[in-house]
Amino acid sequence: MLTSSSVHAITTRLNPLKHLKGAAAGGATGASGSPNVGGTSGANGKPPPGTVMTPAGLAPSRPDPPSGLEVLETENFRMQCFNTLTGTKFLLFTDTAQANVDTTMRRVYDMYSDYVMKNPFYQLEMPIRCDMFDRKLNSYIREINNR
Amino acid sequence: MAVYSFFIFDRHTECIYTKHWLDALLPLGVNGRPQQVSPATSKDDAKLIFGTVFSLRNMVRKLGGDDDAFISFRTGQYKLHYYETPANLRFVMLTDCGVLSMRNVLHQIYINLWVEYVVKNPLAPVEHAGGEGVKNELFELGLDQFVRGLL
Repeated sequence: MLTSSSVHAITTRLNPLKHLKGAAAGGATGASGSPNVGGTSGANGKPPPGTVMTPAGLAPSRPDPPSGLEVLETENFRMQCFNTLTGTKFLLFTDTAQANVDTTMRRVYDMYSDYVMKNPFYQLEMPIRCDMFDRKLNSYIREINNR
Repeated sequence: MAVYSFFIFDRHTECIYTKHWLDALLPLGVNGRPQQVSPATSKDDAKLIFGTVFSLRNMVRKLGGDDDAFISFRTGQYKLHYYETPANLRFVMLTDCGVLSMRNVLHQIYINLWVEYVVKNPLAPVEHAGGEGVKNELFELGLDQFVRGLL
């Protein structure tokens, strides 16, 4: 899906707060050391309006990289996008009222790590043709759809 | 909850109105006044926003069928809300992530502000090339008052 990647990059650039890059770094909680990046979309401690950031208030931690598209809503479906630190994107198309999508995305990511990344015959950035991954994924999605 | 920007695009894909509520969030400049966003940056951002919502709208039509309509998308920093009228007038609003849905708000902006202050203005041209006729006093005051009333 070429459009999704390009739109993902553009939505990252279209940040109305990009002029606050220096100020936002002061409030960033810095998750750079965490290997697990969930679907949390919380703000990085944005300073309240009118706050004057002084050099002493700038924390030395590196700010989180700006995230691209995370959720796309339409009338009929919702697209959830999970972007890993290594740049792999997981797109999940659900009903508009689907709940607990973050848990589902994390579970799919775990399956991807176990059955695709640990497959010695899988070549990076090629289409995934792992039978075990397909079976586990279908079983999990069927379980969710039957809830 | 905060509203950052608001754009209106006409059926010729031109940005005919731009409004920002970022003054309270911009860092102070050397002379103590907020740094102003340059008009060139704002114009380029408007084109980029239109390209984004246009491609997303077409992608949504392909994926969800012709009866589907693009509503909004969210990133970690902001959320973009989209509203399209049957006359191909497009309203785009950038808000904080926590805002739920602005569809009703954009609809109210269309029927209570745009129709009343721009369409019914006999001095405004039928087409608004370059934003002509849109930036009148009543529309600007009404929009600012309406948006600040939401917060």
